[in-house]
Amino acid sequence: MRSLVGLFARSPFGSLAEHAARVHEAVELLRPLFEAFIEGNWDETQKVYERISKLEHKADVLKNEIRDHLPKSLFMPVDRGDLLRFLKEQDGIADRTEDVAVLLVMRRTVTPPDMRAAVLDFVDYLIQTSAAWLSAARELTVLQEASFTGPEVEKAIQRAKDISDMEWEADKRQAALSEKLFDHEAEIGPVGVVMWMNVLRELGGVANHAENTADVLRLMLARR
Amino acid sequence: MTPELLLLGLALAAGLYTAWTIGANDVANAMGTSVGSGALTLTAAIILAGIFEFGGAVLVGSSVTGTISKGIVQIELFEPTGPLGADGPRILALAMVAALFGCAAWLHTATHFGLPVSTTHSIVGAVAGVGIVTFGWSGVQWLSLLGIVASWVISPLLGGLIAFTSFVIIRKTILRQDDPVAATKRLGPYMVAVVVLIMMLSFIYKALKNRLDSPPLLPALAASAFVAVTVGVVSGILIRRTQPRPGARPYDYVERVFAMLQVTTACFVAFAHGANDVANAVGPVAAVVSLYQAGYSAVMSHVTVPFWVLVMGGIGIVVGLATLGYKVIATIGHQITEMTPTRGFSAEFGAATTVLIASSLGMPVSTTHTLVGGVIGVGFAQGIAALNVRTVRNIVNSWLATLPAAATVAGLLFLLGRAIIF
Repeated sequence: MRSLVGLFARSPFGSLAEHAARVHEAVELLRPLFEAFIEGNWDETQKVYERISKLEHKADVLKNEIRDHLPKSLFMPVDRGDLLRFLKEQDGIADRTEDVAVLLVMRRTVTPPDMRAAVLDFVDYLIQTSAAWLSAARELTVLQEASFTGPEVEKAIQRAKDISDMEWEADKRQAALSEKLFDHEAEIGPVGVVMWMNVLRELGGVANHAENTADVLRLMLARR
Repeated sequence: MTPELLLLGLALAAGLYTAWTIGANDVANAMGTSVGSGALTLTAAIILAGIFEFGGAVLVGSSVTGTISKGIVQIELFEPTGPLGADGPRILALAMVAALFGCAAWLHTATHFGLPVSTTHSIVGAVAGVGIVTFGWSGVQWLSLLGIVASWVISPLLGGLIAFTSFVIIRKTILRQDDPVAATKRLGPYMVAVVVLIMMLSFIYKALKNRLDSPPLLPALAASAFVAVTVGVVSGILIRRTQPRPGARPYDYVERVFAMLQVTTACFVAFAHGANDVANAVGPVAAVVSLYQAGYSAVMSHVTVPFWVLVMGGIGIVVGLATLGYKVIATIGHQITEMTPTRGFSAEFGAATTVLIASSLGMPVSTTHTLVGGVIGVGFAQGIAALNVRTVRNIVNSWLATLPAAATVAGLLFLLGRAIIF
C-alpha cells in the first residue's frame, strides 16, 4: 500500500503554471509603474516598485520549492533539464521586470512629453506578450492530461510560435524608441538618454525571456 | 484441550488474523485509485471490493495454496517414518501455525514502521524459516524458493509491460486523435469487450477449473466471446449516451468514459487479489486441517483446500476491509489523484492480468508490487506527471529484508511452541 502511494511524486506542471501566474502579476504592474514615473509621481513609483519586488521574491520562493521537488530520481514525461530551463527562463521574466523597476526608482529621470504615449504602448505590448506566454504555461496541465500528444501539442506549438513573433515585434519597437531618444538629447541630457537606453533594454529583456520560455516549451514538445 | 485441537484452533485463529491483515491493508490497492480518480464513491468501492475479493478467494483461491505448503519445505520429511518420528505430522502443524503467526507479526511490525512489505513474501519467508530451524539448511527446497523469488522480479516487469502497451494503445488511438471524443465513442466499446473477454477466459480457466475438469477450448471461447460482445454492445449504448459537458475539454470526456472501464479493471484486480492473496492465509490452515482430519497419522502430499476454509479466508478479508480497509482506501484515494481513469485502467489491467497468470501457475506473487510495476509502465508511456523511481529501490529492499525477517520471527515462534507443546 505504502509503496503505491510513495510512487507518486508531486506533479511539477501545476506549480509551474502557478509560478507563471506570479510572474505575470509582476509584469502587469509595469503599466502603473510607468504611469507614475512618466507623471513624475516618485512616491507612487516607489510604492509600485515595492509591490513588484515582493512578487519577484514570491516567484523566487516558488521557483526554489519546485526545484526542491525535482530530484534526479524522478521519472517524468518531459526531460528534467528542459523543465528546469523552462523554470529558469520564466523566472527571468520577473527578474527583468524588477530590474526595470529598480532603474526607475534609482534616478528621477524626466520623460520627454512626446515619447510618453509610445513608451506606454511599448509597455502594454510587453504585457500582452507576457499574457500570451502565461496562457501557454497554463496549458501545461492540459498537455500532461493528453500525455503530451495530439491536437493539444499542435496548439501549444502554435502559441510558442506566436510568442516568438511578438518578441520580434517588441525588438523592433525597442529599436525605434531608442532611436527617438537621441532627438531629445538636449532636453533630458546625456545621463537621461543613457538611463532610458538601459530601461528600454531591460524592458526588451522581458520579451526575450518570454520567448526563451516558449522556445523551451517547443523543445519539450518536439522531443517525442 | 488436546495439543491436536489446540494446534487446529491456533491455525484457524492465525489464518483469520492474516486474512484480516490482507483485507485491512492490501485491498486498498485495487480500489484506492478508483476512489482517487472519482470513478467510484467510497461506499461503492467497499461493496465492490468485498464482492470481488470474496469471489476471487472462494472461486480461484485454491490453485495457489499448494505451492505455499509444499513447494518450499519438503513435506515428506514430516512423515511419521521420517527423521522426526511419530511426532512428524504434529510438528508440521506447529510449523504452519508458527509460519502464519510469524508472517502476521512481521507484517504488523513492518506496517508500523512504514515499510512496504508484501503479505505473500512474508508467508514464503516464514515457511522457509520454519523449514530451516526444523531440518537445517537442507530442509528448504532452495530451487523452488529461487523460482518464487524470480517470479517476484518477473511479475512487476510483466505487469509493467502490459500496462505500457495498454496506455500506448490508448494514447495512439484516442489521446493523439484530432477528436478524442469521437475516438472514445468509436473505440471505447471494443476496449470494454477485450477486457471482458480476458476476464471471462481467466474466470473460466481459473475459477471454474476447480469445479470443471479442463473446460473445452471452443465452448469456453464461444461463451466468453458472447459475453464480451454483449457487454461491449451495452457499453457502446452507454458511452453514446454520455455527452461531453458543455465547455469542458475533450480529455474531461475521455476520462469520464474511462472511469467505467477503470471500475471494471478495479473489480478485476480485486478478484485477482482475492484469488492470489487468500492463499497466503488459507494455505497453511488447509494443511493443518487435513493433518487434523487424518488424526496426525500421515502427511498428505496433496492438500485439497476445504471449501469452508476458503470461505473463512474470504470472510477474514471482508472483515478486514470493513473494519480498517475503508480508511486505507480513503487515504490512498486522497493521495493518488494522478491515477486518472485512462492511467488507472492501464495499470490495473496490467497488474490483474499478470496476477491471474501467476496464480494459475501457482506462483505466489505480490499484487502490490505488480501494480507498482503497472504504474511505472504507464509512466514510461508518458502517462504520469512525476514518478518516484526510488520506490523501486524500496521494493527491492523489502524483498531483501522480508525473507530473512519473516523467517527469523517464524523460526523463533516455532522453537518456542515446540518447547511448550512437545
